[in-house]
Amino acid sequence: MAADQPSFPTSIHLSTPNAMRMNRALRMSRRDMLLGAMGAAAVVFGAGRGIAATPDAEAQDAVAPLFLALSRRLTDREVLDDRISSALYARIIKATPERRDQIQKLHDLMAGGKFDSARELAKAAEHSDAAFKDVIHDIMTAWYRGVADEKVVVYRSALMFDITKDAIYPKTYAAGGPFYWTQTPPEVAVPTGEPALSPSKFVVEPT
Amino acid sequence: MPSEQDLSADVVIVGSGVAGSSIANELARAGISVIVLEAGPRVDRQHFVDNFRNLENKPSYQGPFPCVPWAEHPPNQITPNKYLHTTGPDAEAYQQVYLRMMGGTTWHWAGCAWRYLPSDFELKTRYGQGRDWALKYDDLEPFYYQAEVMMGVCGPDPAVEDLGSPRRQPYPMDALPISYAAEQFRALIREKTPYRVVHEPQARNTRPYDNRPTCEGHNNCMPICPIGAMYNGSYSVYHAEAAGAKFVPNAVVYRIERDSANKRVTAVHYYDPEKGSHRVTGKYFVIAAHCIETAKLMLYSADEQSPDGIANSSGHVGRNMMDHTGVQVTFISGDKALWPGRGPLETNVIDNFRDGDWRNERGAYLVHMVDDNQVDLATALAISKGYVGKELEEQIRYLASHTVRLFSHNEGLADPDNRLTLSATYKDALGIPHPEVYYKLPEYTVKSCEHTRGLFKDLIGLMHGTDEQWTPGYFPQDHPAGSTIMGTDPKDSVVDGFCRTHDHENLFIASSSVFSSVGTGNITLTVAALALRVADTLKKELTHA
Repeated sequence: MAADQPSFPTSIHLSTPNAMRMNRALRMSRRDMLLGAMGAAAVVFGAGRGIAATPDAEAQDAVAPLFLALSRRLTDREVLDDRISSALYARIIKATPERRDQIQKLHDLMAGGKFDSARELAKAAEHSDAAFKDVIHDIMTAWYRGVADEKVVVYRSALMFDITKDAIYPKTYAAGGPFYWTQTPPEVAVPTGEPALSPSKFVVEPT
Repeated sequence: MPSEQDLSADVVIVGSGVAGSSIANELARAGISVIVLEAGPRVDRQHFVDNFRNLENKPSYQGPFPCVPWAEHPPNQITPNKYLHTTGPDAEAYQQVYLRMMGGTTWHWAGCAWRYLPSDFELKTRYGQGRDWALKYDDLEPFYYQAEVMMGVCGPDPAVEDLGSPRRQPYPMDALPISYAAEQFRALIREKTPYRVVHEPQARNTRPYDNRPTCEGHNNCMPICPIGAMYNGSYSVYHAEAAGAKFVPNAVVYRIERDSANKRVTAVHYYDPEKGSHRVTGKYFVIAAHCIETAKLMLYSADEQSPDGIANSSGHVGRNMMDHTGVQVTFISGDKALWPGRGPLETNVIDNFRDGDWRNERGAYLVHMVDDNQVDLATALAISKGYVGKELEEQIRYLASHTVRLFSHNEGLADPDNRLTLSATYKDALGIPHPEVYYKLPEYTVKSCEHTRGLFKDLIGLMHGTDEQWTPGYFPQDHPAGSTIMGTDPKDSVVDGFCRTHDHENLFIASSSVFSSVGTGNITLTVAALALRVADTLKKELTHA
């Protein structure tokens, strides 16, 4: 009779998108309905806390500083936020544990040569091992989109907004006042730089 | 299961979206008692804003709005779907999304507040296609204006920019100044084509209105305006509650009870999340539960008296499913930087193809140049091309400032074979079947889409565009209509020109489900105008009685 008398917390819709992926109570199998009856609230609210808590082991990971050094080279930037770096690194290796070893090896490659630009390093890396391409994609996606493990780690602080801040605001964070959008934005020259890595198929996520 | 407590009101409304909440507001202000039963939960804007910011797939408009198990809605537009099961040769073209929660689907509309054209109501008479409505534009005009005042619609002065729908009053607010990107697009269309770009009428504040602020251009109308400068159904809920209407969240109506003569509805029954059953009685009943859920409820309420479903003596409940089908292309302009995404999302339209003699053989359409922030898409695209470091940053700036997205609303047509039925396979947590829709695109719509593709190719050429990305096939614009179609003949329609069901004298339907044709403009303002006309009828009958 449990299936005929389902019981769900009425606050279940308050689950966040990141937590939703872990929220079994939102899936509709019979087993999940029973799970829901047994106390889905704990699952929902427990999952929501996952991101903020970084276990000590991750904080002390010896590869984490290497990730930051590697990121500086691959973004051609002298300064990157080390707290954001830690959060991105933790998410990347959580999603794909072998990335830890790959990041170490990519750092070894960087340390063993002289690379004056992100492009030089990325090109050499793909030449040395095709698998590095995915590692570099993960690092670029993390810093520029603020996304790792298909989750938002940072939104406003993603580098894509830093490099466009003279023209446009991140969605929901406009600060130009009413009708700012009628003003003429900056012109942008046609880029002349070459890609470093071989191209990948671009897939627009279904909505 | 016996009711814990019987509820009763003069008017019982199922659904709290724009239609249900605006009727509730009007009636409550006239001193009429109202109960609104909403299947989904009561929600608040800030939570959805937080959800949006934490969403990886930002263009997923359903993403910030998780459903509850007792009131599922489609999680996305992906076929096969976990809730709305579409079938037939063009199943993907009918993969609609909508929301089941207090305030309804306008939580994530873009505020586009078009009136239909007079010809849209007379498609059969004027062009020999589809069906006529059982009312004329002039019947609806006063209610269009009432809806514009209720929502707070801004739009152009008809003396300067006539949008084709005659007006007796000006728009409640001045037109929204369009963005630099839209202005460049408008100049190009004016100088290099025979067409024009007009200001889109929008339920968006160009001055403080209804205790809501002026639009600040957060570029996030869909999926959620962060400051409430854009109207959504929740504001009508709040106004109705302040006037005394009672809203019951998490109340999933599953049965419509009638008298022994099957002429009058006597009560509706709803489940709470624990599947406890409750009975709500009233003098009048309005189903305002969205096109798909309204038809689903009427079919699911079938019983011995009405074995084919409620108000379905014509057999047309669930038939004639329509939509604005879309053609969409994204490309990189070779001209000056546009930086789309500064300001509201949809502000400008090519309206030359909304009407014409050619409508006797192909459907009408309108075109949006979408003013959407392209930074995230540009970044993902540049990474996939293999850029890193400073070259990546140059690419992001260039692509974000030069990406153009065009999409269309192409007119559907009522075809009884395009049909919603109850799934025999899938049920929700309460045991209520999911909706299933068979869909084959009308040839009329396909021809319209072909014409649009030709126009888009011309525009890409004029903008020296490259890197065209066409959305494959046909995509739904989430403007479903027709499932309880309006008409003068009870043999082939479900409601009359006042949205009263032919079969049950005290049962009304307020939804795009009553549309007899779907035109080209976004459907919400017409839904609201029809709903306010229902409220007007109810006020007259209840006051007179």
